[in-house]
Amino acid sequence: MIGFESVEDVQQKLESVDYIPSREIATVVYLAAATQKPILVEGPAGSGKTELARAIARSLDLRKIRLQCYEGLDEAKALYEWEYAKQLLYTQMIKEKINDLISASSSISEAVDKIAEQENAFFSERFLLARPLLQAITSDEPVVLLIDEIDKSDPEFEAFLLELLGDFQVSIPELGIWKANHIPIVLLTSNNYRDMSDALKRRCIHLYIDYPEKELEKRIVKLKIPGIEARLADQLVETINKIRDLDLKKRPCISETIDWAKALMVLQINDLSPEVLSDTINVICKYQVDTKMVRESMDKVLE
Amino acid sequence: MLNLILNFVSACRTSDLRVSTAEVIDSVRQLELVNVLDEDQFRSTLRANFAKSRREQRDFDRMYDLFFHDMRPDAELDPDNTRKNEMREALEQMRQETSDDEISQAIFDFLAGDPIPYLKEIQRLETQAEEASKALKSNLSQLSSRLEVMLRINQTRNRLLQFQGDNQSEGLPGKNQGMASHMLERLEVANRMLTQDTRPHNDGLKQINTYDKQYSGLGERPFSNLTEIEIEQMRTVIDQLVRKMKDIMSRRYASRNKGKLDVKKTLRTAQRYLGIPIEIRYRQKPLRKSKIVTLCDVSGSVWSAARFMLNMIYSMQDCFSDVKSFAFVSGPTNITDIFEKHEVNKAIEKVITDTDINFDAHTDYGEMLTQFHRDHLNLLSKKTTLIIVGDARTNYHNPCEQLLDEMRSKCRRVIWLNPEPEQFWGTGDSEMSTYKAYCHEVRPCRNLNQLIYFIEDLVF
Repeated sequence: MIGFESVEDVQQKLESVDYIPSREIATVVYLAAATQKPILVEGPAGSGKTELARAIARSLDLRKIRLQCYEGLDEAKALYEWEYAKQLLYTQMIKEKINDLISASSSISEAVDKIAEQENAFFSERFLLARPLLQAITSDEPVVLLIDEIDKSDPEFEAFLLELLGDFQVSIPELGIWKANHIPIVLLTSNNYRDMSDALKRRCIHLYIDYPEKELEKRIVKLKIPGIEARLADQLVETINKIRDLDLKKRPCISETIDWAKALMVLQINDLSPEVLSDTINVICKYQVDTKMVRESMDKVLE
Repeated sequence: MLNLILNFVSACRTSDLRVSTAEVIDSVRQLELVNVLDEDQFRSTLRANFAKSRREQRDFDRMYDLFFHDMRPDAELDPDNTRKNEMREALEQMRQETSDDEISQAIFDFLAGDPIPYLKEIQRLETQAEEASKALKSNLSQLSSRLEVMLRINQTRNRLLQFQGDNQSEGLPGKNQGMASHMLERLEVANRMLTQDTRPHNDGLKQINTYDKQYSGLGERPFSNLTEIEIEQMRTVIDQLVRKMKDIMSRRYASRNKGKLDVKKTLRTAQRYLGIPIEIRYRQKPLRKSKIVTLCDVSGSVWSAARFMLNMIYSMQDCFSDVKSFAFVSGPTNITDIFEKHEVNKAIEKVITDTDINFDAHTDYGEMLTQFHRDHLNLLSKKTTLIIVGDARTNYHNPCEQLLDEMRSKCRRVIWLNPEPEQFWGTGDSEMSTYKAYCHEVRPCRNLNQLIYFIEDLVF
């Protein structure tokens, strides 16, 4: 079996690739890997949903295959497609060969039979364009499959995914059923744009990544930005947490905390002051109204 | 262990968490893999399997705390079960003394460590439907049954205190004392459950406060303050706008034909011309046209905003695959026909003159939701966007928010447009904060700019 040995093992391995998981994340990842179930990850934007998939792939030294969902995504883009142009080109090029083959036949039906014998040459893997899902299933070694922003896809696509996630096999009419060589570790992320169907939810285990606890966030900042002073990191996290308490349109997430810390490092600032916050606020707040609100409650945020 | 989990599952189910058998099997299998003595792991395992979305997590957390924290002390208090039996006897005695209505029985069951009947009772309270419209409507019946449960809890508390006192006078302090206070604690838990907030987390909620100030002056005037002349001006502006948006849409339809070459289709048409590809076919992406169901409050001030919205939606009808609309004061009336047969402005007049909407009635959102849920639920599908226009002022009637929750699970998105300024939401009889928990998106919509911003979002 691929993967992890215990919850502690998950924690260690993820930390070794610079991702500090909470206990809950570690437990769910371990269970998913052990029972070969997909994980449905929810959480505010920037809380590290996609990063989790990347970290799992890196910690187990696996390839990561990513499928970005959007409205109108269909099987041809997600699973496979026949390369008609290539088939056509090949047919043109070997036209004479085909003529040779059927020249000896006496009737049309005999000629058709002869060509039919060669059908495999045209409907073979050579002409099959594998898209992310097929790549994940046919890969020779286990992979991590990340299906990003599943909530953006259409309900039809969601239904199609069910078959894949349930049995880990796909049927290609011309070639038959392909079973997965290795069951991939699957992560689906959702931003809650719409609710997922019950059937999909039932096949997955659910994980909600919330804003990290203060202590955890401090550790993450120190890990991601090794040069940062401990005092500044503490100050930074405290401030971010206070900003999160404000009634903002988009609350800053862990990724914003890290961006901000990086910005301060570049500017060589070692102490937070109202001026510093005011100058660098665009890193934390992505909306004009939010910026305004933080500026107005500056003294509350920086205590 | 298995029994414990199964009990927990049935407790979850009574409080409306949908836990399937497959999920129970999964969780039990997974519990074998983790260290169950570590609460984080134990809890995460159950939570990952039983609560499959952020919305359900609060329900789960509440049940978990109740089941594994508030109700658990039984096992710790008496390892040899003697206390438990004593307690059960005492409770049994008290139970016989009290009247045997369901609520008291449920409370005693709760005290004895079986929360399920009591949970059912609470669940019944929350989903209690208002009886068919009477002359005088209110949500009193829900409040009064809640009150009834509280009275029963008080009765039981008195009885327990008496029990505590009895024992003291008989000179049996110590263990009975502890037992009584333990039961009192538990009664507090029951009381707390009755009064707590049961609204789900709604992190995905999109709350729009900002908008482009495209039109100054007229664009910023609240719909409710428009004069006759301004309404005429407004119509011209809307007409222009609709034309502009239609242009953009048709350009979009045109450009989609310039997609990649569709070899399959080109070959198929080439068959007709001896295999020579005369007609080139492109891959056409069918644009997703959404279905729309609108519910418009037509009472008083709200109507002024609702009609402009209807005006725009119907002018752009070809951008959607299906538009159904309902107007309501207390019950929903289907006005789709009127809008399909008549020109928009005429239709708006007709809604007021030709329908049987009772404009004198009190607005009753609960009643509207109940009727819509009963008669028109089949209109909602995963492709439908449900738009509700209203101030959510229920005149203190029962808001019936569970119905909205159910409707949410049937459709793609629920958007609530509120013509009141945001600072008034949730004040007085406004149930906006209640309904908000069940919407995907809420936005104030009181002037043209906000409306335009919304329509653009909806169409593009």
